[in-house]
Parts: sequence; structure tokens; C-alpha cells
Amino acid sequence: MARKIIINPVTRISGFLELDVTVENGVVSEARTRGMMFRGFEQMMKGRKPFDVIYLTQRICGICSTAHSVGSSLALEDALNVTVEEQGRYLRDIIHGCEFLQNHIRHFYQYSVPDYVKMPPDHPLFTSYDGDARLPKKDNDTIVNHYFESLAISRLAHQMLALFGGKAPHNHGVYVGGYTTPATAVKIIEAKSMLQKIRNFIVDRMIPDTYTISRYYPELFQMGKGPGNLMSCGAFHGYEALGTLYTEPLVFNSKTNKTSPFDADLITENINYSWYQGKKTYKPFETMPEPDMEKEDAYTWVKAPRYDGMAVEVGPLARLWLSGDYRNGISAMDRTIARSLEAAKVAGIIATLLDQVVPDYMVQKEWELPSSAQGAGLVETTRGTLGHWLKIEDGMISFYQIITPSAWDYSASDENSLGTAEQAVMGTTIADPEQPVELGRILRSFDPCMSCATHVSSPGQETKTIQVF
Amino acid sequence: MTGQGSMNFIFGKEGALVIDVDMIQRQIDLTFAEINYLIRLMYATEDEHTKNLTLNQMWNKIAHLQFLNQLLVAASFPQEQVAIPIPNSPQTTLPDSTNTPVDNNQREFTREQLAQFTGMNGQPAYVAVNGVVYDVTNNAAWSVATHFGLSAGRDLTQEFASCHTGQQWILDTLVPVGRLIA
Amino acid sequence: MSEHPVLPPESTDNESVAARLAREAKRQVDQSTLKKKKLVYLELNGCSGNIISLLNGSNPDFEYMITSMVDLLYSNSLMAAEGEQAVQRLFDLADSEEEFILAVEGAVALKNKGMYHLVGKIGDRPVTGLEMAELLGKKATHVISVGACSVDGGPSAARPNLSQSVGLQRVLDRHIIKLPGCPVNPDWFLGTLAHLLMFGEPKLDDMNRPLMFYSTLIHDRCPRRPFFDQGIFAEKLGEPYCLFKVGCRGPVTRTDCPTRKWNDHVNWPIGASTCIGCAQFGFPDRMAPFISYDTTKE
Repeated sequence: MARKIIINPVTRISGFLELDVTVENGVVSEARTRGMMFRGFEQMMKGRKPFDVIYLTQRICGICSTAHSVGSSLALEDALNVTVEEQGRYLRDIIHGCEFLQNHIRHFYQYSVPDYVKMPPDHPLFTSYDGDARLPKKDNDTIVNHYFESLAISRLAHQMLALFGGKAPHNHGVYVGGYTTPATAVKIIEAKSMLQKIRNFIVDRMIPDTYTISRYYPELFQMGKGPGNLMSCGAFHGYEALGTLYTEPLVFNSKTNKTSPFDADLITENINYSWYQGKKTYKPFETMPEPDMEKEDAYTWVKAPRYDGMAVEVGPLARLWLSGDYRNGISAMDRTIARSLEAAKVAGIIATLLDQVVPDYMVQKEWELPSSAQGAGLVETTRGTLGHWLKIEDGMISFYQIITPSAWDYSASDENSLGTAEQAVMGTTIADPEQPVELGRILRSFDPCMSCATHVSSPGQETKTIQVF
Repeated sequence: MTGQGSMNFIFGKEGALVIDVDMIQRQIDLTFAEINYLIRLMYATEDEHTKNLTLNQMWNKIAHLQFLNQLLVAASFPQEQVAIPIPNSPQTTLPDSTNTPVDNNQREFTREQLAQFTGMNGQPAYVAVNGVVYDVTNNAAWSVATHFGLSAGRDLTQEFASCHTGQQWILDTLVPVGRLIA
Repeated sequence: MSEHPVLPPESTDNESVAARLAREAKRQVDQSTLKKKKLVYLELNGCSGNIISLLNGSNPDFEYMITSMVDLLYSNSLMAAEGEQAVQRLFDLADSEEEFILAVEGAVALKNKGMYHLVGKIGDRPVTGLEMAELLGKKATHVISVGACSVDGGPSAARPNLSQSVGLQRVLDRHIIKLPGCPVNPDWFLGTLAHLLMFGEPKLDDMNRPLMFYSTLIHDRCPRRPFFDQGIFAEKLGEPYCLFKVGCRGPVTRTDCPTRKWNDHVNWPIGASTCIGCAQFGFPDRMAPFISYDTTKE
């Protein structure tokens, strides 16, 4: 007997997400992920002064705003023909690294832990179905304590970000050329001290807690695989003196079982099932499709970014897999473990970079704007690959395209395949359709940020489903 | 929270300002004592909110000292007209912009001419209100020659009327440089 | 026994007096009856950055807030429950006679009867942010607009504003405490909330912003102010002088950022770059351009 389940809102994510699934004989047979908010940031950038996009695109997302400041700065540097000095890269990457720490700690403790752990019932915030909380009381209590302890640590990560970036969220420190205000010797020492506390917490608390949870939910190693194609445009890589500290730009194709260098030219967006009008498949610089809510067969406003025609997974697991640091498997639980391990990895990278920072070193200039130019900025961020593409005409922004990590992971279907998260949910065995806890666990393992994946939902489309297999 | 306004002014014959120097001296001593106390309070408190309030009070006291100092200067040179700036006035202009020659006020601008003065690329920033052209190049509220989405080089009579009704004093703080014709 | 016990004389130097006053003030705050109230934290069309900023609060921090200040009933970002059972709570609350405070971040998207932003669904029925803002907004004892988008549309309403986003006040005909900022400083929200719980509504200015946080022009408290007064301007970012000529909006923005600072008070926007006026009404469109290099510097 087929049964339809709608989860809306999927809470404990950034932004608003809906999941529609059909369950047949206890197994998910149809799946659709839908974002539920639309602001139209790409259109907002048109007609603005080019330098304003660095601070304005950050407002796309409250939890990963630094990512957008880096993406837009890179795109501007490309357009303005600015070569960034190594010092500029170091401090910018440190600021961005702090966001990884903040995000991963908050995602694990505040967003993921309540999926597995029985939270203190005296707070209304935590009351929910907890019939599948399996941890023994001692382990459970430990992780609950760490839930609250972690608040001070993720706060510290943002404090470290603000030290160099002015404030967080929505920093003022990332800019064309790397950073705005130089670090001082005092700030570098302060940051090192903060970093040590954060790193200790990750190693002594967060990673052990992750493995504790994984022991009691072994079936999640078999759930939420998705397409198995992994992509990274390169993270903390190619420093002149330091080489690559994390991942080279690589793509793993699960069909051919081959890893090849990442080529930005193979990125396309497809709008076959999305509420847009225009060319069905296009490259980022080609066109900004026009919204069209009446379009037949479309079910979402999320576009479908594809790499060489494939739906791909981006994020911590993809990066750790491609760098060779973690190859246990691809599943919901592996994704969660990868995020915790990556937090430690990034903390180490920040420590390395901090040692390279020269205090009081100025990188800012009076940047000159060409009257027309275009530029692309691709960067690995907390949730995966982020791309900003912009064009300048008459000294103003005339075109803006953003493909966010959550647009990759929560992409719509195209003619050939479902989106990445949709594939991950397909085939999942639901133990109790009344309480389909598996679904939320799989969705959250991707750390979706729907504020970033700017979409909209439409009424009257609720009954439409896409037939798969 | 601001401590200004409690000054004792004594108006003599013909409305001339007579300043009681002893009174000012006492006020200065008192303000110094208060600042000393605030500094100690900042050391004593561990609460960031209280610290912040204390810091703000200190700013106010220092502004007050500055004001008292200006009065003393005025008292020392009673024959000169010393303008007493109001601390924390929201529309402060730079002191040197007041040195604009008076006959500049008679300069005439057409709208086309005014449009040149955008405040960009070496041009000063001029705006017109009620037929008078003002220089806002160094006006604090006109960062990068823009003000709440408005740009310089334009007649902003309507915009001024809609946002600053009854705030004629704003115009009095601006430097006139000419008249708008037609 | 009417006499007081005889104590050694207390030290009367300034430091000791100040320390005693500070201790006493803290004791009174600790003892004052902090009546726990229910709080609904509604996230509408925005970036959910204010709740992240709220997690950055210290003294009080988030843990203290949910254990000692309020019963947090709803937060999309943080609550354990999801789906219909989460949204149903809001309807149950609206039906009950319970008193609660409503905090709203994000703008209200009006386009398509609010369909551009959904809070959730009851069965197949979409529940829009607009519907929830109106429903809960009428019932709450106090309403707080948290952040630029909720106050007057903010970045969500930046032109061309395809979602037709507006501030909460546009759909709610009632008194609202407004806390502009992008995001809001956690102290501004937690301080306002604490004041509400302990002493009732804080003093507000004519735009309904609490005076204790929004009374002073950034420009008047800026450590770089002496450079402005002497006409020493930075020509590019990163220089320690007045940033007025590259686009600083400190002269038109009223907050206590220069003294309070951000993220456990370690730094603030002008410590890194220009102020972009994120706590001023009309941000971002009326605060643009943020950074410009071709201003006449004289």
C-alpha cells in the first residue's frame, strides 16, 4: 500500500525545506525535496556597484555568510584582474576556516544531535518524538552536556572570525585582495589561543560523540547513499609555499569509478523541472532564466546544477573522500562522521596558516573598476562547492549567477536523474511510517541550507509526483 | 543620559553673554571627579553591559568638558564672536569648510551645472534645497556623496521637505555656495 | 538586640566604593524575580542569521535564556520536533489563552498571498509566513522585530524585491519593539528580552527602538572620529583613518557598536572596514553604495 508523507518544515536546518515521499511496502519509492522561500538575490545584484556584492551576497545566508563573501570576492578579483598575494589568501582562508568550525560544531550539536539523543524534556524546545533514542543513559547524558558546552565553543569560533573580520555573521573582513584590515601580533596570539580551545573540544568531545552515536545507529551506514558522484573545486589548496593543505580540485564519477580533475567548464544548470523559462540547459555565464510559475511538469524553483551531466554530492564527505582522508563509505552516517573529522582537519589548517601570517601587512589598494568585465569565483565552503559568476557593464553589475552547495545537494531532477538528496532518500526502509525519523536523519546529514538555495514553493502542485525507476 | 544643558548662562545688558568663570571652573572640577569615578567603575565591574553604559557616560562627560572648555575660551576673548559648537550635533561639518568666501553665495547654478558637482572624481558635492545650493562634500551624513539613496548634483527640495519637515536647522549647518536658477 | 553588629570600617577609596556598588547592583539583578515567560521565535523570509547571532550571545547566553528566562516554544532552526507536529504547536498556542512573547526575524513575503515563504504545512495545506505573523502577532503580549528584514524588509526587500517582502509592521497593526541590525547584536535582543521580563518594556525612541542600545550615533562614539574632525581620510580600506570618503555609514547610523562591539566584544565592523548602516532603516538600498573609491577627497 502506497502512502504519502510530507515533512514540512524540516527543522534544524538553515532556512525552510519540505520533503515529499511516497512509501510503498515500507520503502521510499518516490521522493522530492523542495525549498520554501524565495528572495531572488541574483536579480538583486543587477544595477549595483560591484564592490557592494561582497557585503550584500552575505545576506543570503546567516550560517554560512563568509562563504558568499569569499565567492563574490574571488569573482570580482577575476573580473578586475587582481592577483591576490599569498598573505591575502592566508588571512582570508583563516577567516573562512573559522566559519567551517562554527558551522560544523553547530550543525552537529544543535542540528543533528536531537535526531539521536533524548534531550532534556523540561524544555519545550526539545519536546518531540523520541521513541528511537537508543543511547544508554550515561552516553546520552554526556552528549546532552556537550550540547550545551558546545555553545561556548561555536561562539568562540565566531569570535575568532570577528577578530579579523569585524563581526559574525556577515563579516566585513573578506574583500578583494584577501582581507581589509591587517592582523596584528596580538590578534594572532589571541586567535591561536582560541583555536586551541576549539580544537581540543573537537578532538576530545565532538569526534568521540559522533562515533558514539554511530555505534547505536549502524543502519545509517547503509542509508542515504545518493548518486555517489563526489565533487570539489579544491579546498585550502595550491598555496605557493605550503602546497595543498586539504583537497585538490577533483571529481569522482561513481559509474566509471574514476577520479578526474575538476573542470569548471563542465558545470551546467538544468531547468527542466524547475519553474523557469528559457534555455533548458545552460552554462553559468549564459543566462539568468526568467521565473515562470505556470510551467508544465515543473515542481520546484530549485534549479538542477549538473557536472558533466551528473548529479553530484558536495561537502565534507566529498572533500575527505577526494583527499583520501576518509573512505569508509558514502552514507548518511559517513557524512555526519566526515563533518566532525573535517572540523578537526580545518582547525589544523587554520593553525598552519596562522603561523604564516605577517602582522600589519597591508594588501588593500584603491581597486580600479573596468567599465566592462566578467569574472567567476569558485570556492569550497562549509557545505561544498559554491560558485559566483558576475558581469560588469558601465561600471555596474549587469549579471549575477550563484550556484550554492545546497543547490547541488538539493537540486531538482533533470531528464536523466533525480537530485542528489532525492536519490539519497529513495529506497530507504521506513521502520514506522507514523514516525519516519530516518528521513530527517538522511536530509540533515547533507547539512542543507535552504536560505542559500533560493527557491519558492507553489500551491496546487502538491499532488504531482515524478515517477522514478 | 546626556549631561549637557545644565550650564548657567547669564545674560547681561543688550542680551550679551556674560560667562561666570568661577562657575565653569567648579563644573570642570566636578566633571573631572566624575570621570575619575567612572574610570574606577569600569575597572570594578565585570558585567559588559554596565561597562558599556559607563563608557558611554564617560564619552558624555568628556563632551561636556569640551563644551566647558569652549566657554572658557569664549570668556577669555569676550570681544570676539566665538561660535560654540554643539557637541554631538548630528550634522557636523568640518571647521575649514566654513571659510568659504561669502561672495560664493551669489554664484548661480543651472540644473545642468549643478549636475556636474557629484562629489566624485575631484568634483565637490553640491545639492540644492529651496533654491540655495549647498556644499555637502565633507558633510558627515553624505558619505561618498550619497545620503539615504540620494546622490549629489541634484535639486533635493522635495526630498528634504518629505524627510526633514520642520528641521530648518539642518540647512543652517550647511555651507551655501550659490543659488539655483531655473 | 536592636544594635547592628559592629563591623570594621569599610575602605572608602574610590575603587572599593565602586566595587561595592557593582556587587550590590549584581545582587539586586540576581535577586529580582525574573518571571519566566513563553517565547515564540518565528523565522520568516530571511537568512536565519539573527538566530545564529543569538547563539553568539554571552551573559546571558542561549543556555541561560532557555533555562532561566523563557520557555522557547518554537524555533525552526533549533527545535527538535519537525513537520506538522511542529507547526501544530503554533496553532494550539494561538487557540489557547496562554500569554507569550513573539520574536520575529525575516521579512513577510506578500507575493502570491505569501506563498513565497512557507513556515510549514498542516496536512497538504501550506502555512505561509504571512498567515503566521498575523495570527500570532495579534495574540502575543509583546512583539519584537528582530533584525533588518523584520524591521523594514531589509535585504529581503532589496530592489527589485521579487518576493514583495515587507517589514512586520506592514502586516501588523499593533505596537512592535524594533531591533534593526543585520544581524541584530545578541545583546540588543537578549537585553531587550531581559528588560521585558524584569521591568517591562524598555524606553523606546520615536521609531520604537530601545534607547539603551540605539540612542547614539556611531560617528559620535567612533574611535576614528578625531580623524574626521581633522579631515584625515582613508583612501582605501585597512588604513586606520576616517573611512567617510570610502563609504562609512557611521554618521547616519544609531547603535552602540563602537562601545559594545560584537562577538564577545572583540571587534566591530569599523575595526575591519566601513560601517554599512545595517542597523539603519532603509538598509541596504538606502545605505548603498557601501564602498567607493572615486569620492572627491580634497
